[in-house]
Amino acid sequence: MNTLSIRHLYASIGEKPILEDLNLDIPQGEVHAIMGKNGSGKSTLAKVIAGHPDYTVTSGDVLLHGESILGMDPQVRARLGFFLAFQYPMEIPGVTIANFIRAALQARLPEGEELEATDYYAELYAKMDTLGIPRSFTARSVNVGFSGGEKKRCEILQMMMLKPRCALLDETDSGLDIDALKVVASGVNALRSSEIGMLVITHYQRLLDYIVPDRVHVMAAGKIVLSGEKDLALKLEAKGYDWVSA
Amino acid sequence: MNFEKKSEINIDRSLGDFSYDVDYTFDAGVGLSESTIDYICDVKNDPDWVRSFRKEGYRKFLEKPMPTHWATKDLENIVFENIRYYLSQGSIPKRTWEEVPEDVKKTFERLGIPEQERKYLAGVEAQFDSEAAYSNIKAAVGKQGVIFVGSAEGLREHPEIFRKWFGKVIPSGDNKFSALNSAVFSGGSFIYVPPGVKVAHPLQAYFRINAQNFGQFERTLIIADEGAEVVYMEGCTAPKFETATLHSAVVELVALKGAKIQYITVQNWSSNVFNLVTKRGVAYEDAQIKWIDCNIGSRLTMKYPGVVMKGRRARGEVVSIALAGEGQHQDTGAKMIHAADETSSNIISKSISLGSGRATYRGMVHVPKHLKKCKNNTECDALLINTQSRTDTYPAITVRGQGHSVQHEASVSQINEEQIFYMQQRGLSEAAAMSLAVNGFVNDLVEQFPMEYSIELKRLIDLEMEGSVG
Amino acid sequence: MPASTFNFHPLEESTGVGWFQELQKKAWEQFSQLPSPGRHDEAWRFSSIGNIALEGFHQAPPPTDEQSILERSQGITPLAAQLVFGNNRLIHADTSNLPQGVILVSLQEAIKKHEDLFRRYFMKEEARLGSLKLAMLHLSQLKEGVFLYVAPGVVVDKPIEIWHWVQGNRSALFPHTLLVAGAGSHLAVIEHFSSLEEEPLLACSLSDVVAEEKASIHHVTIQDWSPQAVAFHLNTTSVLQEGSATSLQLHRGGHFVRSENDSRLFGKGAKSMMLSIVSAHGAQEFDQRTLQDHLSPEAKSDLLYHNALSDQARTIFSGLIKVQKRAHRTDAYQKVSNLMLSDDAEANSMPGLEILADDVRCTHGATSGELNKEELFYMMARGIDESRAVKLLVRGFFQTVLERLEEPQLKNYLQLLLDHE
Repeated sequence: MNTLSIRHLYASIGEKPILEDLNLDIPQGEVHAIMGKNGSGKSTLAKVIAGHPDYTVTSGDVLLHGESILGMDPQVRARLGFFLAFQYPMEIPGVTIANFIRAALQARLPEGEELEATDYYAELYAKMDTLGIPRSFTARSVNVGFSGGEKKRCEILQMMMLKPRCALLDETDSGLDIDALKVVASGVNALRSSEIGMLVITHYQRLLDYIVPDRVHVMAAGKIVLSGEKDLALKLEAKGYDWVSA
Repeated sequence: MNFEKKSEINIDRSLGDFSYDVDYTFDAGVGLSESTIDYICDVKNDPDWVRSFRKEGYRKFLEKPMPTHWATKDLENIVFENIRYYLSQGSIPKRTWEEVPEDVKKTFERLGIPEQERKYLAGVEAQFDSEAAYSNIKAAVGKQGVIFVGSAEGLREHPEIFRKWFGKVIPSGDNKFSALNSAVFSGGSFIYVPPGVKVAHPLQAYFRINAQNFGQFERTLIIADEGAEVVYMEGCTAPKFETATLHSAVVELVALKGAKIQYITVQNWSSNVFNLVTKRGVAYEDAQIKWIDCNIGSRLTMKYPGVVMKGRRARGEVVSIALAGEGQHQDTGAKMIHAADETSSNIISKSISLGSGRATYRGMVHVPKHLKKCKNNTECDALLINTQSRTDTYPAITVRGQGHSVQHEASVSQINEEQIFYMQQRGLSEAAAMSLAVNGFVNDLVEQFPMEYSIELKRLIDLEMEGSVG
Repeated sequence: MPASTFNFHPLEESTGVGWFQELQKKAWEQFSQLPSPGRHDEAWRFSSIGNIALEGFHQAPPPTDEQSILERSQGITPLAAQLVFGNNRLIHADTSNLPQGVILVSLQEAIKKHEDLFRRYFMKEEARLGSLKLAMLHLSQLKEGVFLYVAPGVVVDKPIEIWHWVQGNRSALFPHTLLVAGAGSHLAVIEHFSSLEEEPLLACSLSDVVAEEKASIHHVTIQDWSPQAVAFHLNTTSVLQEGSATSLQLHRGGHFVRSENDSRLFGKGAKSMMLSIVSAHGAQEFDQRTLQDHLSPEAKSDLLYHNALSDQARTIFSGLIKVQKRAHRTDAYQKVSNLMLSDDAEANSMPGLEILADDVRCTHGATSGELNKEELFYMMARGIDESRAVKLLVRGFFQTVLERLEEPQLKNYLQLLLDHE
């Protein structure tokens, strides 16, 4: 079964087409990477799957575990198990991390059922420890005043807490030093299992040294132009993206 | 994302929206005249000086025009002849809840007052229409010499302190509504904290309007003697009637040398109440007065808590949250009058306008001639939720001389749509995301309220958005 | 200020045009009926207007010293054109270098030769910031003025300079300026308001600036009236779609000066920048009222007013950003700063917002403070004496405003002017 299937996807922002006939399958249990130049449509793909209202899907389909999600609101997609680690995580002043994740988990429970606070905090603290996030951060507003690395860790923390079936990491490596990269990668690797499918969007192959993908796809002009094994990333690094389009 | 399409946003007011039929022993009838005032004086057994104070207030009330040259024309919808100015079951409050008449007791029990008193308050006064039905202070606090009684008892039993300050911070002719209050005032608290006494727990007053077409005119006077400290909290609710109700209080605070007074209000009147309140404090040397003011209810609120900093290094502060929902106008702000060297003041105001709600900030900061090193900092932030929402900011700042530092900043914004999307991606509904964002906007101010109040506030501000998304 | 306290009468001299006379007659009636401004009036809050004597002025007679006026009309160079007025009369005009498509004429000539065009723009916007009575006085007494029209697409690459001089004891002056930048045109204008002598005078000037679609206009005003002047400057700017208007007022002279600046953003994407520098000293009072009226979506307005106050000077700033319903995606900013240089100076600030649309970005700020003591000390430690150091810091305070002016010739000229203070 495919965790994520993208079929002949066309999407645009305003009048401007960005994705054109994009096809991609991520089988359950696999990690795929998408690489590509700036402007190739990588981040658009992430937003379209998440259901960002600025983008219009003009044709094609996106299936999450075989179910079409295109007509759904972002929160419905999220509750079905889709998680997007944002390239630029939003700052939410006045809303603490602890309350935010709690609200997100609560939203996944059936009506009338309350999240067990003690268990929640135990799990939250354990995962923060794994990611090297100080516990004092629970009382801080989501991403407000965080460094680039802290924001990315906070994204991974949310991913670990929300336990998605399908995760998409949009340039999670950008702005991270090597130590932070290792921490983030270990968090991602800890989630790898036969249950989850992951898609990692990145500009550099460096991240793929730590999160080793099952397959690598190259994106250009809104579609996948080349797919291969993980050594494709090394070739790209050596020869540059123009080698693909040539 | 377009929030215009969303259906209404509701604020939970269910808690206060009920009323009981009560038999009033004393009723001044409908409308206002000299004889209404005489009736009130007779029922309350006022001394002569109070009677003449009331008559003087009445004269000034008649003289003063409605301030509609700067304020909203909605004021013209108050029909003074249709209002009942005094309703009570007697003017002596009970000391125990057992003695409080059943129907009145039921009301306060439903509002959770006796329970809160047991849990965390040093004293409670519960006013039902014109008079306090219950007033009690914990024995330990009483032993420290703290006086916490109704205004009538204050003027009868403690005339030497009461008369010295009553009407001195806010002269009866300060404005049309302070004049009206001076004419017909009834209820409210009188508090005196002796030198050096720090009251450990808050004193609380709860104001309840039960009757229709009624005007509530409580009068509160708080004096913190040298080095004393006290926190006073007031809450208020009324049932939602079809007709307009008037609430027009006067609150005077006196913080003597080195004293600290914190006055906390959570105003949740129903949407038929005109809430026109005058609140001001005088802070002497090294004294501090802080108004923490939250306005969620009422049809129209006009309230600009002020501090006159009369002594060196005195400090005044106003922290204000206003939520203007459908059909509401929250016209709030602050007045900071610097009258001594090295005085400092701080104003933080946050407002949220929803639906056709309108939030107005009016501020006055005054630094007169020949003072040294005065400071003021004012920050006003407004959040607009819908296309029909409105916000205004009208500060007036006068600074004379050099060596002062006065700053005012204001901004208007709306909910960040990318923020909402981010939260939705984590699985929150749009309504829940909006609610979180709004709470986040006022969170830093809500945290300044005592714990019990901040939980209540968060619940009140928890917007419930029903229906369609997208 | 009842009509009778002025030594004014409805004008009898004919301009030869019925509609204009009719307008003036109606204006006189309105002036006579309107109540005098007073402090009780919100639009005059904090103003000393009640203490200002407005009687005893008369229409200025022809100037006695045209030679001095011409000699002293030395401003910006190079110029595209220059007009010089003395006591409401045109005494010099050099318009020979203007490009094709530019009309720069006196008001009397505009009425005669460009009647339809002139009428289309003349006095179309009502004075809304408190001085309607004075605007009506202006109109009823109006004799001469400037009409400048730039045809669509024409670029005037050098500034046009206009001088308004006054001479004579208790003269009253009514300068009128109508500037229209047609679609896509570019224009820069500098106006001087100056006194030949230090005698009492009454000035009541009115200017209307129109930037049509995609036009760009810069308008600088240098007010240098006599220290005994009572002056009212009423300015309205209208900006249409994607047009842009920048105004800068430099106020130096006068005893009591009231300036109203009303900017109306009529078109989508319109831009208005309002700048002001006030150097207030002695017993001067500068009373400035502004409005940034957003009537269309996606318009941008920006206001920066800097006042330096010494001696017993007073300033009043009352500004409003108004975002009308449907003016979504408005971007508006307003900031007034008062630099207090003496113990007797007084600054009043009333920055206001009225927002009736959501999805806007509006901020305002007001500060009143003193010179930075550390900066002052630093300069003195370098051997600069205190009064010079203060001057330099004040100059720096003004420079922040000048930096916002994007028109290089006007900016350079103003910098030189302030450097020579």
